[in-house]
Amino acid sequence: MTDAEPAKGPSRRALLGALGVAVGAGAAGAAGALTATGSWPGETQQPDAGGTPAGSSGQPVLASGRYQAGIARPATPQHFGLLLVCDLDGTDTSWLGALGQRILELTTKATPTDVLPDGPGDLTVTVGLGPRIVAARDASLPGAEDLPSFAGDETIEPHRRGGDLLLALYSDDPSVLTAVGDDLLTLVPGATPRWRQRLFRGHGERGVVRNPFGFLDGVIVPHGDEELAENVWIGSGAADAALAAGTVCVIRRLRLDTARFAALGTPAQERVIGRERIDGTPLSGGPKDGEVDLNAKTPEGEFITPLRSHARAAHPSFTGSSLMLRRGYAFDDGLLPNGEADAGLAFICFQNTLRTFVVTQQRLDENDDLMKYATPTGSATFLILPGFSASSPLSF
Amino acid sequence: MNFRILPAVLALALVVTLSGCAVSENPSGPTSSSSTTVRVPADAATIQEAVDKVPEGGMVLISPGTYTEEVTVSTRNITLRGLDRDGVIIDGEGLRANGIQVIADGVRVQNLTVTRHTFNGVLVTGMHDENGPQAHNLTGYQKLDPAKFPPLQRFEVDHVTATNNGLYGIYAFNSQNGVLSNNYASGSADSGFYVGQCQDCSILVSGNVAERNAIGYENANASDSVVITGNRFSGNRVGLTLLSWYQEAFVPQRGATVVGNVISDNNSADSPAQAQGGFGIGVGLSGAQSDTLERNLVSGNSVSGVQLSNTEDIATTGTRLTDNALSGNGVDVADVAATRSPTTTTCITPDTGLSLLPGDLAASCSAGASAGVAASALPQVQVPAGVSFLKVGRPVLQPNLDGDLTAVPDALPTSGPAGSFNTTSVTLPAADLLVSSTGTR
Repeated sequence: MTDAEPAKGPSRRALLGALGVAVGAGAAGAAGALTATGSWPGETQQPDAGGTPAGSSGQPVLASGRYQAGIARPATPQHFGLLLVCDLDGTDTSWLGALGQRILELTTKATPTDVLPDGPGDLTVTVGLGPRIVAARDASLPGAEDLPSFAGDETIEPHRRGGDLLLALYSDDPSVLTAVGDDLLTLVPGATPRWRQRLFRGHGERGVVRNPFGFLDGVIVPHGDEELAENVWIGSGAADAALAAGTVCVIRRLRLDTARFAALGTPAQERVIGRERIDGTPLSGGPKDGEVDLNAKTPEGEFITPLRSHARAAHPSFTGSSLMLRRGYAFDDGLLPNGEADAGLAFICFQNTLRTFVVTQQRLDENDDLMKYATPTGSATFLILPGFSASSPLSF
Repeated sequence: MNFRILPAVLALALVVTLSGCAVSENPSGPTSSSSTTVRVPADAATIQEAVDKVPEGGMVLISPGTYTEEVTVSTRNITLRGLDRDGVIIDGEGLRANGIQVIADGVRVQNLTVTRHTFNGVLVTGMHDENGPQAHNLTGYQKLDPAKFPPLQRFEVDHVTATNNGLYGIYAFNSQNGVLSNNYASGSADSGFYVGQCQDCSILVSGNVAERNAIGYENANASDSVVITGNRFSGNRVGLTLLSWYQEAFVPQRGATVVGNVISDNNSADSPAQAQGGFGIGVGLSGAQSDTLERNLVSGNSVSGVQLSNTEDIATTGTRLTDNALSGNGVDVADVAATRSPTTTTCITPDTGLSLLPGDLAASCSAGASAGVAASALPQVQVPAGVSFLKVGRPVLQPNLDGDLTAVPDALPTSGPAGSFNTTSVTLPAADLLVSSTGTR
């Protein structure tokens, strides 16, 4: 993120607002990472956190702020993660304040602990609540609605569906995550682990990494305060005011048939994806990190970005959706009893309304050839609570 | 090379060759029939120069010739008229985007041919800014704000031939109170005619012929008072569609009236592909709501006469199919909506003798939702490869506008005729409606 735009440069939204004028790569990706730390107005950032928010640097990531860490900051996600999903006995959430306080302690470099004797590194912890807990408060709140069943969901093992509490831990040091998770769960009364998932993720620039299929992922995601506010953060409408700056997370554990996809060969793979394999260039041309041209056709009338390509199927313009912030990781849990690899993609996304994910996944189920190579093996949604700080505790 | 320079050079070359011709045709020289008429090329070298010269309320009268220019009409209440529909040709040469772009209220375009544009033959749009006209399919990640672009008012496109254009032949977008009448469109890589993005549209689409297009007539997010009548949408890949479309404002589409049209044999091989694979479909309704189809002849469409489906999470609801002549279609009426957005309250009268999928589709008039069948349940046909829009066959000669072509017409009325159109007087058309305009030469 060394090529961040000047803060006052035109946002991508502003450029596109000029009647869909084609927009260059510079505007599409670079804006705003430095502002995504989302600190409270007037809050003083820690010196060792404020200057290096890009992540994957091992440097501390500020836990306190208007938004929780692990969503838009660090801008480049850490290499490793651990998802802990628990059931709760009841619907009480009075323990959140203490949990948040402990997260602040663990992620503050100045206070090494038994749990993190070498300091926090770039550890982040993101806290979310499942639909049962949210709906018990108010069924109209964002996050109160559970995911519907999508194509193939009927084969998901019950224990990997849903859950009441999400702790999403990320760090460049994979060895610390279990201890941190164990420590934090001691503060949640009545929590019973439901499912957990180890995650890993390659190197990448600006949050773009290769997914297990070998294609670059995360090319088009919201960047900068304005796009994050429009697409990701829950707004300050009357019904949602208490949850403003929260977001709705969806996790889909997708077992991927990478061997069968590899057997397609590169040209056919690129037609399934809609971009080139090496550097992500859209099949419709333009810069490698540019947007696909959905309307470009051959003179014979066929789409150049193929009809059933993932890039076309997933595009929000067809569903009237906002742009989701994707922050997925790979997983590999060894072999299944039948000898197949239990490996694939933990698709993780954030949006300010569940509809964004639901209508997109329904469209993928109907229109996306890439889904032929993915089997859902886990599915859950969580309300990610607004950010917190020492003076403004984590709460619901 | 800058594309903006090339057409100008070509246009200049053409003017040299055309002017002699024009003088011989009009020996009286400058027209004095009306001081508000500007003749091309007698009074202005190019159509654009004439359009920029003519005062509001005036007329640009174009002599036969091939004009290689992109014309933008930004003067209110003018008429752009060719003296010979087949002989006045605005040719995009496969290079230029649009033939005629209308961005002013009250404009008529009449009696000429627009061909070989990479986008549209004629584009009428209320969406324009300093960069020129725009329309349709904003496929970035922004949301369209229709309030920023009030709809264009009052337009008429009549006796225009639009052939071999890469997107739409004749396209009215973000516009109200208009007429598309007695036009012909073929060889469009999308649809021959398109009306999009308007509420309370008051747009009348009548007496047009569309053939050898991917789609004959397309109606996206155009609602309330769109009347489509007396047209022939036959011999395309898909005849007519009414649909909701998230890439434009004003979803869902609703309340169009389709009455007295011939929509037949939409199984054309001499046409560009419909990019989503559509073929053999007479009428396609997708996320369409409360539309009425009455006394249309819908026949010989190899997959389906009328096909109902959803647009993502928008269901097709409240379709009234009344007294249509449905015959010889793969299946007469089929519901292929996904289970997530089932079609509801489809009323088909009469339904005796019709082939329906699912078989109890007509019961949904009172029962509510119908259970859409899988696309694999439709008659399976071999879809022929698409033909380049530049290579689809040329149409036969088309009839000229009647009357004294030098007479400047009165200003278009404030309200389009669709609002007061009396559909009850429209009868079931004969199978040969407008058939003399069809075919290739």
